[in-house]
Amino acid sequence: MARIQKRGLRDFDWLLAFLAIGIVAFGTVQIRYAQPTEGYWVKQLIGLGIAIIAMLAVAFTDYRKLINIAPAFYIFGLVLLVIVLIPGIGLKINGQRAWIKVPGIGQFQPSEFVKVTTAMMLARYFGRHRVGTLTIQEIAIGGLILALPIALILLEHDVGSVLTYLPILIIVLFLSAIRIRYVVAAAVLGIVLLPFAYWVGVKTQLVKNYQQERINVILDPEKADRRGFGYNTWQSILTVGEGGLLGADTSSAHSQSSLKFLPEPHTDFIFAVTAGNSGFVGCILVLLAYGILLFRLIAGARRAPDRMGMLVIMAIVGGLTFQIFINIGMELGILPVIGVPLPLMSAGLASLIATFIAIGFAISVQLRRFVN
Amino acid sequence: MKFEDSSQNLRGRLWIVQIFVVLLLAVLGVRLYYLQLVRGKHYAEIAQNQRIRLLPITAPRGVIFDREGRPLVDSRPIFNVILSREDLKGRNLFSLVKPLSEALAVDADTLRDRFDQISSQPAFESILVKQDVSPGDIAWVEAHELEFPELRVEQQPQRRYPADGLLAHVLGYVSEIGAEQLKQASYKERGFKPGDVIGQSGLEQTYDEYLRGRDGYRKVVVDSRGRIQDEIETVPAQSGQDLITTIDLDLQIAAEEQLRNSATKRGVIVVMNPNNGEVLALASAPTFDPNLFSGRISTKEGRAEYAALLADPETPLLNRAVQSRYPPGSTWKIPMAIAGLQQGAITLDQSNIVCGGGITVGNKFTRCMGNHGSPDVKTAITHSCDGYFYRLGLKMGLDGIMAMVDEFDLNKRTGIDIPNEVVSWTPSREFKRRMQPRSPEWSDIDTVYSSFGQVYDVITPIALLRSINGIAVGGKLYIPHFVKEFKPVGEPGASDYRPSRGFEPLDAARPNPKIVPIPEDIQHKVVEGMWSVVNAGGTGARIKMAGFDIAGKTGTAQVVGLGKDVGKNKDHSWFVSYAPAYKPEIALVAIIENSGFGGHHAAPAVRQVYDVYYRKTRHEEPPGALPIAKTPKPENNNAPKERPETQIAQNQ
Repeated sequence: MARIQKRGLRDFDWLLAFLAIGIVAFGTVQIRYAQPTEGYWVKQLIGLGIAIIAMLAVAFTDYRKLINIAPAFYIFGLVLLVIVLIPGIGLKINGQRAWIKVPGIGQFQPSEFVKVTTAMMLARYFGRHRVGTLTIQEIAIGGLILALPIALILLEHDVGSVLTYLPILIIVLFLSAIRIRYVVAAAVLGIVLLPFAYWVGVKTQLVKNYQQERINVILDPEKADRRGFGYNTWQSILTVGEGGLLGADTSSAHSQSSLKFLPEPHTDFIFAVTAGNSGFVGCILVLLAYGILLFRLIAGARRAPDRMGMLVIMAIVGGLTFQIFINIGMELGILPVIGVPLPLMSAGLASLIATFIAIGFAISVQLRRFVN
Repeated sequence: MKFEDSSQNLRGRLWIVQIFVVLLLAVLGVRLYYLQLVRGKHYAEIAQNQRIRLLPITAPRGVIFDREGRPLVDSRPIFNVILSREDLKGRNLFSLVKPLSEALAVDADTLRDRFDQISSQPAFESILVKQDVSPGDIAWVEAHELEFPELRVEQQPQRRYPADGLLAHVLGYVSEIGAEQLKQASYKERGFKPGDVIGQSGLEQTYDEYLRGRDGYRKVVVDSRGRIQDEIETVPAQSGQDLITTIDLDLQIAAEEQLRNSATKRGVIVVMNPNNGEVLALASAPTFDPNLFSGRISTKEGRAEYAALLADPETPLLNRAVQSRYPPGSTWKIPMAIAGLQQGAITLDQSNIVCGGGITVGNKFTRCMGNHGSPDVKTAITHSCDGYFYRLGLKMGLDGIMAMVDEFDLNKRTGIDIPNEVVSWTPSREFKRRMQPRSPEWSDIDTVYSSFGQVYDVITPIALLRSINGIAVGGKLYIPHFVKEFKPVGEPGASDYRPSRGFEPLDAARPNPKIVPIPEDIQHKVVEGMWSVVNAGGTGARIKMAGFDIAGKTGTAQVVGLGKDVGKNKDHSWFVSYAPAYKPEIALVAIIENSGFGGHHAAPAVRQVYDVYYRKTRHEEPPGALPIAKTPKPENNNAPKERPETQIAQNQ
């Protein structure tokens, strides 16, 4: 035991942990800048403390044991998602019933945690030693594992969260020897069908007017309805643009976020705040930090002792990458406004703790790379 | 990789994932480069603009005082309730009509109209909901801040004019610049914008540039709801220059009272200092309330009131002293007498001309009101002998009369410093051609008409008074004006300092005074005649003041035919005068429209104004203040038509 602990400290991925903590710390500074009068940044620091403990706990637990009981976590997650839907316990914010009220702490969003349990479940199912390519049946079961939480989240009207679930399955299938021709076919089909589906959606009014407006504003932000549905994107673009090379030369009391031009500056639009505050240089450093973090995770996946470990880490990579891209893309006006937090930077305990648990998983996998 | 198997090329697939990660991050980096470095300045400017707002601070206009420092016009702060545009984002304007009209007691239709107009304009700053609100209204707005965050209370200076239309035609008024005005180059040059309040009439218009203050502004930071968060810079407004006018409020009040109490309540009294052109009083009746234009005009009732003013057959908006032309009647004989002597048509030694009870030119007899024998020029003036002047006119000829007109500037604007002065009509061949195209040739009968102030002589009261003033002071024609001094504003030497300024002719090329070479003996002779009009049993004998020698001349301006109509088209009654006769201090002209003979209506009105002047300057009761009826009713007058004849006959 002592040997493992000692080796544990040596093999512990310090860089990964500190990168994550560093990004959170930097994010906390931005949260404070965005909402100087509110206590979000304090909450975020408390959350960071909890998150570090959770990360360490997961890291020093054998991930195989955790994945073995993944079905239990998975079912627990589904139960949480059902609880959210119960009025009185589930909290409705911005039209989405996605939060559970927890006395003392406030509220938290179980869909963030369920992402981890779903990834574990997928890793468990696809993580057996295998020969040959994936069968249709296997793909279908993978789809089903994902479909259950997605269905429940859709009942919460939280479309944004649903989107972040998809890449988890895609990356697991991709790395589980799905035939390349399926991958290519799906990619081609996606590229062709997406505009068509959008067109059909507009024609049949399934894509609502405000959703169309959110897309129009991306196509041409200067001409879109800047006061209506294009408002958020337009204000975010202004905030980012104003940042210039080294940050806007406006006093913090007169910033886009302090004057409430930029909505949700501490959560969904935290990157715009950062961009306005620290400019192009700061933004590139943040992107680099995320890049190194993701590379580090992928490197860990390469060295994973088994398929399960590799899949867990890569599912996390897929989820994180996609979420980072969607969130920042939205803030930079290249993607429509979707309420997805920026991992490690947006204020929000659930997202923070869930991300650290995921990183803890990755560390746990690496810690056991020589153990057999 | 320990678990790798041949079938899936896991290593390759991990690389693909890794490349994908790099690609996505690179897309974000490129986009950041575009937004922050390529377009950064553009967005920074827009972001800056949406939080910075310039709130104008309206500068108060200069106060207008009378010559003794009594305020005539000032500005008082009023409060308006407005809707701020920035805060109306996404709110349906018309949903506000009902609650606002009920709470603030504004007419719902008016409000709806205003919203209609404003919503068609792309860039409006605010919408006026209610002007000049009460403290109760302000309290209501403040109490309902959460419900109607777009409501604001705004302070604004509003011009306050004297009640009862006192001095309205001189002061003029201010009002919001009109849409048509904004299109004109002259206004564009001065940088006016919609909503600016400018002088639109009277002194307010002429001296807008000096009375107007320089607006200041507050540069503030607003949040997304338009609420002020911080103030960056304040440039205070600089008030306009105060104007000390030449007006004497006591004389003005007396003059207006005389007109109000006159037979027809329509007419003009102008009081001037003949020695320098200062206008001491200028009354034109009926008058109007200038406060309509600075305030009520924006309301439905106000617009109706304005329409009624425009449609009023008595034309209260007209400044009759400078915008109306009347035949001068016998007052015309004064410049005629001077010119006749100057031109040698008559001489001081031999100025007698036959009256003849009238004259026959061709087959047409034009009568005199009496038969005056063969009077000299002084007697002819005193008794207003038409027959004398018919023949004098014929001696002078049209060219002589035209030379006289030219000499006394009767065919020009006087240059008075209030706008829209009209040019008098005076005799000329061209005028005749225009008036009677069927017999365009000038004939002797036209000369006869021109010589006693009818038909071809149609002049403004101010032009007449100026010429008489010139004669009174021996040949100096001053430009009538109202400015004594514009008070300086600011610190001397500062860039925004506005120095003191006296009267300067609006037309700088115009000499002030214009010198008319009248030999002293000629002047003396004519003045004697004018003196006798009042002091030696002439046509104005009723107003004689012992010890304060008024020199004057009555006149009766033919409206239909001289003395022919006794109804509403009766003749206009003139009296032009100055005093003391040989040391002029004050000059007065009065015309009472359609009241009949000059000596009976205009002269008594003038006398009452002289009384006020006398009390002020001599500090004693004026001698011989006659108990003149304040309101001589035309119906009660016994045969006003016969009056002139009777009186002239008496005085013979």
